Amino acid sequence: MPSTTEPVEESIEKVNDEIAVGSDLEFQRRWWRFERVIWVVFGLLILADLLGFFGRGHFAKVRLRTSDGSMDVQYERIERSATPSILIVQFGPSAIHDGKVRLWASESIVKRLGAQRVIPEPSASAIGDAGISYTFPSGAAPASAQFALEPLAPGIYTLSLRVPGSEQMTMKILVMP
Amino acid sequence: MTPFEFVLIFFIGGVTLTPMVGDDHSFTNALCIIATIALTHNFVAWAKHRWPPFGRIVDGTPLVILEKQKRHSETMNKMSVQDVDIMAMARDNGLTRLDQLDYAVLERNGEISVIRKSEQKD
Repeated sequence: MPSTTEPVEESIEKVNDEIAVGSDLEFQRRWWRFERVIWVVFGLLILADLLGFFGRGHFAKVRLRTSDGSMDVQYERIERSATPSILIVQFGPSAIHDGKVRLWASESIVKRLGAQRVIPEPSASAIGDAGISYTFPSGAAPASAQFALEPLAPGIYTLSLRVPGSEQMTMKILVMP
Repeated sequence: MTPFEFVLIFFIGGVTLTPMVGDDHSFTNALCIIATIALTHNFVAWAKHRWPPFGRIVDGTPLVILEKQKRHSETMNKMSVQDVDIMAMARDNGLTRLDQLDYAVLERNGEISVIRKSEQKD
């Protein structure tokens, strides 16, 4: 069976009635305007990224202290999914009792923020009270512990930290995709 | 395609690969990604044929950059085309000077096609 055919029609616009180009300068001008907008958007994206609005920059890093000085926490309020970061908890003298520091962290530190390891390794850890209690042997203040985080999925998560006898510190962490 | 563009495409491909694949190195994942890319390519080709305005967005439109010894300077500037680019294609077609051209057109694939002056046509 022969293939279907149809007569050729001159459908492509000509320049000077002699060369069929099919140019559309008006469309192209609109496209150039669109391109300019896109370049500006890309520029703003890079600037926001350099400043840390998408994590791993100046804006993302935060330092919080409890009013009694028992805890000083450095963390990133904007994290990135599947990307490592470090949360540092520095303990003041009021957090150290009998050569030990006990730190309670909400479950989100493991479930949402993907705590991979704790440095130094706690001498004991216990689950309960909707979180995990870590016990660290400690000398004189200042003393600090580091949590290596690697969030599993994007979202906004709440992390709470507390040492006995002090106020609870609650922070919101945005995890970018 | 210039060597720089060639490197750029491979570079973008490499950068895109990690977040797309993540830590899933399974055959299933590879198969699904290949199928998705193939299907997307086919869909875009179909959509270009079905809706010409969509085709213009994807492929662009040919642009006249030289016409009867007049440069379309707005187009040349915006598309970063210089006389040397036109001459490269002219030489490729056996022409030695710009004044031997009637037209130069920047095609949708980024190449420049040149039309020699009428009296010089075979």
